[in-house]
Amino acid sequence: MNPILALAAKDLRILMRDKTGFFFSLIWPLLLAVLFGTIFGGGGDGGGTIPIIVVDEDGTDASRAFLARLEAAPELEVTAGTRTEAVDEVRRGKKSAFVVIKRGFGEAGENPFWGEPPTVELGADPARGAEAGMIEGILMKYASERLKDFFANTTLQQESIAEAKRAVREADDMDPGLRSRFEGFFGALDDLLRETDNLQEADTANAFGNGLGGFTPLEVEQAEIIVERRWPTNAYAISFPQGIAWGLIGVAAGFGISLVSERTRGTLMRLQTAPISRTAILAGKALACFTTTVTLSFVLLIVGRLIFGLRPSSVGMAAFAVVSSAVAFAGIMMLLSVLGKTEQAAGGIGWAVLIMLSMFGGGMIPLFVLPGWMRTVSHVSPVKWSILALEGAVWRQFSFMEMLLPCGILIAVGVVCFAIGARAFDWVQRS
Amino acid sequence: MAGAAILELKNLSKSFGPIRAVDDLTFEIHEGEIFGLLGPNGAGKTTTVNMAAGLIEPDGGSVSLRGGGLPADPATRSCIGMAPQALAVYDALSGEENLKFFGTLQGLRGKRLRERVAWALEFVDLVGREKDRVKTYSGGMKRRLNLAAALLHEPPLLLLDEPTVGVDPQSRNAIFERITALRDDGRAVLYTTHYMEEAQRLCDRVGIMDHGRLLALDKVEELIRTHGGTSVIHVDRGRGEERIETDDPMGELVKMHAEGKVLTFRVDSPDLECVFLNLTGRHLRDD
Repeated sequence: MNPILALAAKDLRILMRDKTGFFFSLIWPLLLAVLFGTIFGGGGDGGGTIPIIVVDEDGTDASRAFLARLEAAPELEVTAGTRTEAVDEVRRGKKSAFVVIKRGFGEAGENPFWGEPPTVELGADPARGAEAGMIEGILMKYASERLKDFFANTTLQQESIAEAKRAVREADDMDPGLRSRFEGFFGALDDLLRETDNLQEADTANAFGNGLGGFTPLEVEQAEIIVERRWPTNAYAISFPQGIAWGLIGVAAGFGISLVSERTRGTLMRLQTAPISRTAILAGKALACFTTTVTLSFVLLIVGRLIFGLRPSSVGMAAFAVVSSAVAFAGIMMLLSVLGKTEQAAGGIGWAVLIMLSMFGGGMIPLFVLPGWMRTVSHVSPVKWSILALEGAVWRQFSFMEMLLPCGILIAVGVVCFAIGARAFDWVQRS
Repeated sequence: MAGAAILELKNLSKSFGPIRAVDDLTFEIHEGEIFGLLGPNGAGKTTTVNMAAGLIEPDGGSVSLRGGGLPADPATRSCIGMAPQALAVYDALSGEENLKFFGTLQGLRGKRLRERVAWALEFVDLVGREKDRVKTYSGGMKRRLNLAAALLHEPPLLLLDEPTVGVDPQSRNAIFERITALRDDGRAVLYTTHYMEEAQRLCDRVGIMDHGRLLALDKVEELIRTHGGTSVIHVDRGRGEERIETDDPMGELVKMHAEGKVLTFRVDSPDLECVFLNLTGRHLRDD
């Protein structure tokens, strides 16, 4: 076996046997990614659904149909319940709001030309004002769809007009002049609907379009276009790149400390008396670090893909991001190994540096949440470029040219850090 | 004198800042010889060993292996086998895995590697425990493994830095036997130790260092004769114990016996420790 491969294989074997090291190198980043992804919203396209509970107090065909519309709505996660249950669930924060379809909803809906409109009651958690506004809009949307169906059905309209004409006739207290105008209006409307029916039967509907078919104010045609997604598909798309970044940091710190450990325990001395160059010894350590970070990254991406709905734009882009990040952190590992003369010193200094890089690089909090000056400072952190490259592959759908900037920076960081670290390592050895 | 010189140090010097760790050191080690390098803490022994192994570059002078090769050159370095004072093995690996790894770095492959690993395990009496992780080994077993890792590639020169620190008498004795066997096999051994009785028992020649300088270098018996001082007779002739220093303890005892009654006596002959203390002084060295 090539000495560099033998050195790397030795380090990987030791890592696999170090249960604590293995846990923090591979399992902990995965747990972080899953935990934070779940906390910040979990899966689901387009940012998730709003949980509501619906109470049908009307119990008519119309109210049941409206409930069915809401249940089928992709924006909502609907459960049915009683009013008591609804109030309790919202009060305890289990649901964002409750909607009560009030008694008389169905009857009111049958007569859009007169009487009270169909009514629902919305009770929302005061702490979720924005969601309450969204729910109100969603309810209006599905109510108007119901109205649209009504205007598309001339038979229903004619029945409703007949009912309205009857109610006008029986309204004793109505002003005779107003009654006369209502009767004229409903009569003309009734005639128009009959005329429309006749025209449709004569297959001349095109002259009127769809007649009164729905009073559609604007017909929006759905055009098929390629959507350029610039927003994560779900919270895991943010938490997994961050988890990978934490894994890279942990692995770099671990291997940096292990190199110091080789020095303090004397094994490095034995390696240096072998007929291999010092560069080969360091390259072996870097290769082990590189292999571990690549494995870690792919394990997280595969788990994210299979279980948490991540959809990397391409395997090639993901590999480019992963390999670039691994190169960067292998170089950083080399630099960390010369920061302290003991494992404790190297570990302390290394983690302090890495946590700062992570904090300013978006490893702890997504960069877009940070203040502007921190986003500017983040340019110096390889964690930022690593996360950007991974996000570019996972949800930003970067092109190859767009990937070149973060990946190029990462590779440059890796090469420069390795060169400086190797030189400093020689210096430390000589001193 | 043993065979040809395998390691030559000429006017070797090394400083660390203001400290002169090694000062104009010259000696050579031959095939089939155990060369003991003795000295108090901070005398410069480890720096000398590290320069001999090519781990540290000397400020002045030269190190040559087998008549000209430089130890810093990886091609030449394979003639060195080093057992550092620290237990330079991996606790998480088994004894066999450690040896296979170090053997691979020495360029051994395939059947040859397996044979050498088996030989080394047998040589240091670790057969039966070779599959166990090193962290389960006793101190003596780790020391023997540390030695075995230095022998895998059959180097003609062994650099053994305090190879018996912290081991029980049985393991120490086993290590002595192995080192003697290696010497008898024609290998050269540079042996540093604090234990005078080890050096006296094992070493063909001994160099005594202090403050980076070589104070004396010769065969053990010559060093004792030259620097050991006189023998001391502790005798009781009915007047309490008397202490008599003499170069001829036998003659002195015969003379005392002829003069009158000798109840008890004990003779303390000079040894290597006397040589060491006479040369380096009796004040404490804490660094």
